[in-house]
Amino acid sequence: MQLINIITLWYLGITLAALLVGGFFIYNKLGSEIDFELGMELTREIDAYAERIEKGAPPNRLLYDKLEITEIPFDLPIEELHLRDTLAYHDPMNRNEIQLKASKSYKIDGKHYRISYYNLVVEADDITETVVVTMLSVFAIQLVFIGIFFRFISKKILSPFHKSLDAVQGFSFQKNEPLQFTKNGISEFEKLNEFLERMSKKLLTDYRQIKEFSENLSHEIQTPSAVIRGKLEHLMNGEITGEQADLIHSAYQNNERINRIVRSLGMLAKLENEEFEAPQTLNLSSYIQKTLDGLDELIEMRSIQLSTEIDPMVWLEIHPFVAEVLLTNLIGNSIKHNIDHGSIHIELNPDHLRIENSGKAPKNDPEEFLERFKKGSELPDSIGLGLAIVKQICVNYGFRIFYYYENNMHVIRILFR
Amino acid sequence: MKILLVEDNPELTQNVVNYLSGEGIICETAQNLYEAQDKILSFDYDCVLLDLMLPDGNGLELLEIIKSQKIETSVLIISAKDALDDRLRGLDEGADDYLPKPFHLSELLARLKAIFRRSKTGGFDEIVFNEITIEIHQLLAKVNNQPLDLTKKEFDLLLFFITNKNRVLGKQAIAQHLWGDYTDDLANFDFVYQHVKNLRKKITGAGGKDYISTVYGIGYKFDPLVS
Repeated sequence: MQLINIITLWYLGITLAALLVGGFFIYNKLGSEIDFELGMELTREIDAYAERIEKGAPPNRLLYDKLEITEIPFDLPIEELHLRDTLAYHDPMNRNEIQLKASKSYKIDGKHYRISYYNLVVEADDITETVVVTMLSVFAIQLVFIGIFFRFISKKILSPFHKSLDAVQGFSFQKNEPLQFTKNGISEFEKLNEFLERMSKKLLTDYRQIKEFSENLSHEIQTPSAVIRGKLEHLMNGEITGEQADLIHSAYQNNERINRIVRSLGMLAKLENEEFEAPQTLNLSSYIQKTLDGLDELIEMRSIQLSTEIDPMVWLEIHPFVAEVLLTNLIGNSIKHNIDHGSIHIELNPDHLRIENSGKAPKNDPEEFLERFKKGSELPDSIGLGLAIVKQICVNYGFRIFYYYENNMHVIRILFR
Repeated sequence: MKILLVEDNPELTQNVVNYLSGEGIICETAQNLYEAQDKILSFDYDCVLLDLMLPDGNGLELLEIIKSQKIETSVLIISAKDALDDRLRGLDEGADDYLPKPFHLSELLARLKAIFRRSKTGGFDEIVFNEITIEIHQLLAKVNNQPLDLTKKEFDLLLFFITNKNRVLGKQAIAQHLWGDYTDDLANFDFVYQHVKNLRKKITGAGGKDYISTVYGIGYKFDPLVS
């Protein structure tokens, strides 16, 4: 729901409540005011008739449908004015109507008259109607005004906010430009923009640093590591004792490990920075076949049963190098973490790739292996980045990956769409 | 064989020179692009080992000069910038091979020899070592003129051993040579051991000497002097 709609709804709700309360008061006030005025009017009429009687007009000649003059015993005390509602015959409308009756008694020339005068009362229904109609029109006018002006004004007031929103949505690391806003004079929005500007600058710097780091990483670490490797290979070729060989071997292996970690992390960073652009539509089926051909001796050596169900026409839009890494990692894993005389089943169709292999039951949730440095096996030489790379590739290309253990088999399933 | 090594890291240069000169390869070195240009225009080399990240520019510039001046030499790019684009660009522009750093020296030698063979004989050559003969273009290895039934990987392994004879080859170097960059952690899964074992069995089975020996669990050595 748009902000402006929420504000409008609340505003209208509150206005409606205010109009209801106001309507109630207006109704009451209007009723009592009308009664009061009417009372005054009736009193004046009665006084006027009393005066005419005093001046000698015969009371019975004055009578008509609104006037009632009765003679009452003289010894009764003079009745003060009193008003009451009564049903009385109303001549023009030819029926009984609620009327206001005012009566008062006068002692004139030794006679005691009670003069009553009727008049039509404004009915409660009429007052209600008036009040409701008035309030509704006020409400309707507000509705129209709010509808038009609120929208218009809010557009004006919120325009810096919308501009900021657009700018944030258009922000991209590839463009490499921090967010910039023009002054708008609204302090809340100024604060927001200032924060966004600062944040975007920080983001870009961080991003650049990480990118540079990963770019330099391979060079800066791999060069000395290559030197170490060369020196160790040189040492290996000298006259060494068994003890020295162990030391060299251990140093060599750890150097290799550093290498692999650096290279894998570099690969991950490149994937995260989306540096593998220009994907090609390539035939994944033939890539799988190629990968299997390269590894089939390993499969044979461990006496692993390989079965495949590969649709030969699976085309995928992916960078060729990335496809190679993806398949080598997955199939390589299914061999490495297999057991002798185990089995591998590979299924590929345009919908998914499924690689199933036997192996030791995982101790933890197998999905964890998709995280960095989470290893399922105790094999000292796996560094625990292979599946993290696979996962990142899936994220980049919008594939969904699942890893589960089912019927004593490790299953990795990648849904392409 | 005479090569020019263009590399700015002196330690690495020394490693390579040590290893290659042990194989009778004459190594000259250049530390930067300027020096390399100078040498390439003045002397003949069979191959240029070219690093791409040099203090005064990108090694690809040298490649351009070699191509535009029609200098007859092979080029093997060695670079830590294993960005795929660089690799493709290098090969597109006429480099003969690309070896990402860090490489095994044995791998460098194998690639260098392969390039050398291709450029000099078109690959139609035989390597003869005592009773072992390798016909590279036919992927055929013979012992005492009797063909060996080798798989592609075993053949590669034998060639790798003979190219680097008398050197200790680490298991990682062998794994990387056989299965490529991203599978080198296969080295410790006994796959290398199995391959070497099979190869030895096949050679000795055909009446060849058991030249390959294990070196303290580090790796293997093809020892020509085995008795």
